[in-house]
Amino acid sequence: MFQIISDSGCDLNAQETTKYNVKIVPFYINFDHEVPLREGVDINNEDYFKRLTSEKGVFPKTSQPSPQDYIDTYKPYLEAGKDIIILTISSKLSGSHNSASLAANILKDEFPTRKIMIIDSLSVSVGQGLILREIIKMRDAGFSIDRTVSTAEKVVKSTRIYFTLDTIEYLKKGGRVGTVTALVGGILGLRPILQLEEGAVSQLDSVRGKKRAMKLIEDAMVDALKDEIKNINIGIGHVLSKDDATSFQVNTETALGIKIANPLTEIGAAIGTHAGPGALGFAYCKKYQCFTTFTKKSEAVA
Amino acid sequence: MNTWFIIAQILGVITICFEFASYQIDDKRKYFLVTGIGSFFWATMFVAIGLATGMGTQLSLIIAAIYSTVRNLTFYRIFAKNTPESKETGLRFLLAMIAIALVAGTITVINAPVEVRWLHALGMIMALGFVVGQYLPGVHYVRITVVFYAIVVLLTQTPLNILYGDFRWNIMGILIESAKILSVVVFYIRYAHQPKKPQLQFAKP
Repeated sequence: MFQIISDSGCDLNAQETTKYNVKIVPFYINFDHEVPLREGVDINNEDYFKRLTSEKGVFPKTSQPSPQDYIDTYKPYLEAGKDIIILTISSKLSGSHNSASLAANILKDEFPTRKIMIIDSLSVSVGQGLILREIIKMRDAGFSIDRTVSTAEKVVKSTRIYFTLDTIEYLKKGGRVGTVTALVGGILGLRPILQLEEGAVSQLDSVRGKKRAMKLIEDAMVDALKDEIKNINIGIGHVLSKDDATSFQVNTETALGIKIANPLTEIGAAIGTHAGPGALGFAYCKKYQCFTTFTKKSEAVA
Repeated sequence: MNTWFIIAQILGVITICFEFASYQIDDKRKYFLVTGIGSFFWATMFVAIGLATGMGTQLSLIIAAIYSTVRNLTFYRIFAKNTPESKETGLRFLLAMIAIALVAGTITVINAPVEVRWLHALGMIMALGFVVGQYLPGVHYVRITVVFYAIVVLLTQTPLNILYGDFRWNIMGILIESAKILSVVVFYIRYAHQPKKPQLQFAKP
């Protein structure tokens, strides 16, 4: 049995990480001139977004865990004789993957017989969370670490993630869009729809009006997934917009004739800072069973 | 018949073809390229008419057509690159173009006879509405706004000049504006008979 570790970009909540025995390495949140706060440890999502929206002129920055943070996390498991898998946020969005790799290299000589395997999710938040859940299922089904990693890499390639924002204000604050784009977008009521392509954020489209955006997104989801819905896992996340996320989930379930098993995700600081309150995220990936032939009876029921 | 005048008619036919084709295209990026090329031929048509009949009467139309060409091709660049930086640059350029058009339009309205100022003002509003319609996402806004714009152009400009009781039978002008309207009608007939595909498309897993 191996230990699963992820950075906090996966946005799994505390109950899930405890239930599934996943160790989270938190990102840091830096408010101006304050001691950095560890996401999910020193500050929870609710308090974080309260500060983000209420403190005018303040725009916090997030920073990745340091190599030392990863070393401190790996060591107890390695000393206990466990191998470890680390799933990181897309390496194109953060240096977390780099920190995790550096830490693994540093500890390689000290623990030569142990395996430290790092997977770049090329995703974030709900997308990273979906991949993590598949890794958990493989571990619980008794997969070896090598088989889990090779299968997880296929799951990574099948993962798609999209976001729609309520406002461009936070993208502007973070310097992701220019002043004029934000101004014109605001006047025209445009809601950008963003995607992660090969791990990097790009704009897929923009749509006028919230209702229309949600309808188009539902239609696009149905069109993309209807042919192989039984092989797909779906995740939905939100930034302080649980009602919209619930409504979106119900509509998607009805349209696809399925029940989405994964709980709604509260999107954390890594994406939420730039997306802002009201943002919705949705991701899907193929189930790990699509990439593997079963060798044991226990695996088939996982 | 003057050679330049004949060339102008040929350029006009080419313009009609590009304008008609542009409103059959779903993809915004390709639409701007095709309509941009159409605008270019439109501008050259006015230049040819100017060479045939004298530049003085065509200068404002040449400037308007060049303005359209530059605007359409700038939009094409924005949509083709689709990066935050290109959008920001493109929008700044667009706002500058709108400001220039507003100033030019206001001068035109002020200089028009009092009884038809409202129609010139309407023309300016429709032109600006069309530019915004071009920028807005999706396939519908640009088609709706171009129909209103083309109707006002037919009413206020040379093709069917109803403003001063001075009816000028400019067949090419009428055909170009009518081609836009007809193309939109054809598009919606095709659209109604096409199997519905989502406007947004997500990648399959």
